[in-house]
Amino acid sequence: MVMVLSSIILGLKYLFTRPYTRLVPEKEPPFKTETTRGRHVLFMEKCTGCTMCQRVCPADAIQMVKVEGEWKMNRKKIFPRIDMQRCTFCAMCVEVCPTGALAMTDMTGWDMTTDNKETTMYMPYQLTPPEGHKLTVTKQKWIPPPPMFKPKPKVPPKKATR
Amino acid sequence: MGKVREVEVLLGPQHPGAPGNVAFRLKLDGERVIDADVIPGYLHRGFEKMMEYRWWEVDVVMSARFCVEDPDNFELAYVRAAEDVYGVEPPEKARRVRTIIAEMGRIQSHLFWLLFIGGVVGARYIPSWAMAAREEILKWYDYITGHRVYHHYMVPGGIRWNIPQDFQERTLKVLRFVERIVNDIKRALFDNKIFQARTRGMGVLKASDAIRLGATGPVLRGSGVRHDIRIVDPYEAYDEVEFEVPVGEYGDSYDRCLVRLKEIYQSISIIRQLVGKVSPDGIYRYKIPLVAPPGEGIGRVETARGEYLIHITSTGGQTPYRVRLRTPSMAHLTTVIKHVLRNEEITIADFPVFVKSLDPCAPDLDR
Repeated sequence: MVMVLSSIILGLKYLFTRPYTRLVPEKEPPFKTETTRGRHVLFMEKCTGCTMCQRVCPADAIQMVKVEGEWKMNRKKIFPRIDMQRCTFCAMCVEVCPTGALAMTDMTGWDMTTDNKETTMYMPYQLTPPEGHKLTVTKQKWIPPPPMFKPKPKVPPKKATR
Repeated sequence: MGKVREVEVLLGPQHPGAPGNVAFRLKLDGERVIDADVIPGYLHRGFEKMMEYRWWEVDVVMSARFCVEDPDNFELAYVRAAEDVYGVEPPEKARRVRTIIAEMGRIQSHLFWLLFIGGVVGARYIPSWAMAAREEILKWYDYITGHRVYHHYMVPGGIRWNIPQDFQERTLKVLRFVERIVNDIKRALFDNKIFQARTRGMGVLKASDAIRLGATGPVLRGSGVRHDIRIVDPYEAYDEVEFEVPVGEYGDSYDRCLVRLKEIYQSISIIRQLVGKVSPDGIYRYKIPLVAPPGEGIGRVETARGEYLIHITSTGGQTPYRVRLRTPSMAHLTTVIKHVLRNEEITIADFPVFVKSLDPCAPDLDR
């Protein structure tokens, strides 16, 4: 008993502290910061349909679909649609987009929870800025853009001399 | 009488005593475990092949997933290997920030392990404080990188985006909180006689055996071998900092646990030394071209579980030609377990404690 007394006393100290667990959603909203990467937003007027986001996506969550209408920037009329069941929220698509048409909000998986699997595929016109959520990751994050690495010219290996 | 009758028992993968999604086929003689065969493959995702189909910068997203509990060191190893292929030197600031991120990953991995070692010895309450400390680190990660568990913050050529203005204050605040809780856990759990009775003198691994069996990391250091890649082959900003490498004396389970606890203090010290040297100004990244030059690259880091090596071959394309990984948990779960069971009497009740003292990671065994 004596040998574990200090553990018990210390345990009692923690027993009477405030619970650390976050009571979501009764008392507090889920934890978010200004940089949290969540659901995407597509600005359709900026998109050129270059398919870079589709090519970079590591989880193959992005496919291009045709949307009829008048699009000045987008002659092919193709826009990304995002499967949120596959998306890993790595923000590679936001980084690679040349025009800044894609951005991310702080709408995380907790806000997107659904029991209907058919609603997880977000078509281009559904990727509007969600209400009550702010933009977190945009193309502005890479301003000024990082300088390009220039590899040194290769020196041909010297011939072995005897 | 006299005839030994062996009983076969399956432990895992859905067992609280099993270390993650990995199963064991145990051979029992009465209470004693004679032999244990590991049954891998529950988490096999084929990363080596998947990485051959993704761009060089995108493979960072893959490499964080080798080990769920300690993703940053694995990211760092891939990033170093890719930089080796490209021949790019990251900016000095990026190297320091990456070291801070990797050390924070080591702390949160050890804190997470504390919960499991507490679970298997039947003391869940005290290690649950460690989860509060880990939660603070995860919030810090969310603030710096945008995610809690998989950060994708390092890229070949630097870090993905710049650090925020109040990086230093936030980091020091988190470290103060973590240090206070770790001090309490040390007093309540590691100085506790019941915990010592369960772990002392059990699962002894001699130094010569540990080297021969391919053990690395805290398992090797717990056996008394002062071997750490951060000292032996310094990478990133480890040559700028001073820290000790804690080693054990007897090589039993308690020594391995104590080495991990002491490593948390050393990691806190490393971050404190570096955090004053980084500021939001200056170049944080060099953008690398899409196509890599042909060649080979190697990344070798000390993760929370041991030495990790990644070897990449490039034939001059947008993607790697071949990726090969050497992860620490493979040796711990196969050769080390078999060796100890053969030489020592370990009962079925002690087996989970012994396995968890090795801190294996099922995802990095299967990858």
